[in-house]
Amino acid sequence: MEFDTIFGNAARAGLGPQAAIFALAAIGLNLHFGYAGLLNFGQVGFMMLGAYGTAIVVATWGGSLWLGIPFGLGLCVAFALALGIPTLRLRSDYFAITTIAAAEILRLLIRSSPATDVTGGPFGLQAIANSFYDLNFLPDGRFGWGTFTYSSNQLWVMLVAWILVVLCSALVLGLIRSPWGRVVRAIREDEDAVLSLGKNTVAYKLQALVIGGLIGGLAGVIDVLQQSGVGSENFEPQVTFFAWAALILGGLATTVGPVVGAMLFWFLREGVESFIRQLSEQGWLPNALADFLDGAEGAISIALMGVGLVGLMALRPQGIFGRRRNLHLGT
Amino acid sequence: MSEMTTTRPELTQAALEAAPPGRLKDDPILITFGMLKTFGGIRAVDIDHLEIERGTITAIIGPNGAGKTTLFNLLTGFDRPDHGSWRLDGRRLGGLPPHRIARLGMVRTFQLTRSLSRLTVLENMAVAAQTQRGERLERALLRWLWQSEEERVMTRASELLDRFGIAHMADEQAGTLSGGQRKLLEMARALMTDPHMVMLDEPTAGVNPALTESLLEHIRNLNAQGVTIVFVEHNMDVVMDISDWVVVMAQGRILTEGRPEEVVANEEVIDAYLGRAHERGNDEGEPGEEESDA
Repeated sequence: MEFDTIFGNAARAGLGPQAAIFALAAIGLNLHFGYAGLLNFGQVGFMMLGAYGTAIVVATWGGSLWLGIPFGLGLCVAFALALGIPTLRLRSDYFAITTIAAAEILRLLIRSSPATDVTGGPFGLQAIANSFYDLNFLPDGRFGWGTFTYSSNQLWVMLVAWILVVLCSALVLGLIRSPWGRVVRAIREDEDAVLSLGKNTVAYKLQALVIGGLIGGLAGVIDVLQQSGVGSENFEPQVTFFAWAALILGGLATTVGPVVGAMLFWFLREGVESFIRQLSEQGWLPNALADFLDGAEGAISIALMGVGLVGLMALRPQGIFGRRRNLHLGT
Repeated sequence: MSEMTTTRPELTQAALEAAPPGRLKDDPILITFGMLKTFGGIRAVDIDHLEIERGTITAIIGPNGAGKTTLFNLLTGFDRPDHGSWRLDGRRLGGLPPHRIARLGMVRTFQLTRSLSRLTVLENMAVAAQTQRGERLERALLRWLWQSEEERVMTRASELLDRFGIAHMADEQAGTLSGGQRKLLEMARALMTDPHMVMLDEPTAGVNPALTESLLEHIRNLNAQGVTIVFVEHNMDVVMDISDWVVVMAQGRILTEGRPEEVVANEEVIDAYLGRAHERGNDEGEPGEEESDA
């Protein structure tokens, strides 16, 4: 059993661009739910718009990547307003249902045949991030050791992605510590009370939705840059729930929670998958079980993660960094 | 509407005694006309005319289901009437959302306290301060624009907490407060908005007698500073103790209004509220059964 390989694979995933992408998505969700109390089950919709907005400008319309990214983020703002304006006046469950439906409708539209000319339909779009890699000032070649060997371009994406994670965490922290953030947290506790104190709660909720959605959009942009391509299969609803899992794992309404949660999520997911693969390869498993698991390592890994999350909820429901006391004060 | 321009008769004792419900006041801060709210077939609130005198403490009493809280919800914008118009200091409030009404100086509290549990007591107070620069998203990160204002807000919040005797809890999360402390916090928080008029929905419900006394003292002090107070109350001792004027509601209508001592002597009131409801040992949840022909 090569535990160093397992650990290496897991750590590589925990530090990789996927972890950074999910960290961004979870930071956005943390602003939505952890601070503003908005149940957003459609975070993947924002990621999708950030990614496809960027990709369409570059690959379909032949525009610049530096126009594409703001266009993608602009679509995120439009999506937030379209979702929020009709539903944020209603009870929070209406909003939650709308978000999950809207994100899925968006995905189906993007991969539909009439949209193929623009979005590439089921084939997606490619060759998008060249001008991003042109900016790479890191020298050519390979860096690191063992499992942690990266090409120059891989390092460049990771560097940019993790810098964005730090910046977005700092942005949310700064907002939450301001009087604006105080109103937003107050709305999470009791919207009517805040209304009675003269605050336009719908406007605050809308602002929080837009900002958290923009951060989710950035996650989509990083996804496009990392793969230099985009496909609708990357934006299925479970992406939202993985981001939720990362957020809950790390701890709601904390600054490092979503980031460490996302790293840990990918660390565990890859670690368990790698462990099962090793078990099969080493012949430690009965043949029947090995055949059964063959090719299903990823699915088993997710299932075990689910069990692990249930365990976490039983033992430490506030997440790793959350404050337990807060749970008991919930409304 | 031209009600504002009509000349008002002199408010003599004789006029008061002769007047029907909906009496004109010398200097009303709040005037309500034709307020109707129905839920299904029930007329929850059906008030032709109600005025609240500036600078007074007015109690609204009536059996459960009389429409007192609904009236509060309508006046403060939390619920919309089927029709009706009302003015605060001459400004029309009909159709305004609740936060706009609060900004105009009419602030309410709730029957069940609504403390912001996972904010500290001090933060609960600070949220209530009006027109804070740092509450604008575009300035939220520019701390130097709101730092000094924030300090003023905090100082004022601490002073008020001190006055209400919960300063020692300032840094605790509001969810850890006892029920009585929450009532105090909610009242202090309403004051933090600098209101002209405060609407208190059962301020002493579920509060022990000692704390009730202290709450009433705060209401009196507030009134002494010129704030008009309207409160819903079931405890007649409290009503007799602090109110200048009493409005009696039953089945959505105003049965009568007057000075506290007049009202308790009124046959209709005794029938609709004091007498029967009390003799039956408070049959909660049922509207008063007496038909009012007011």
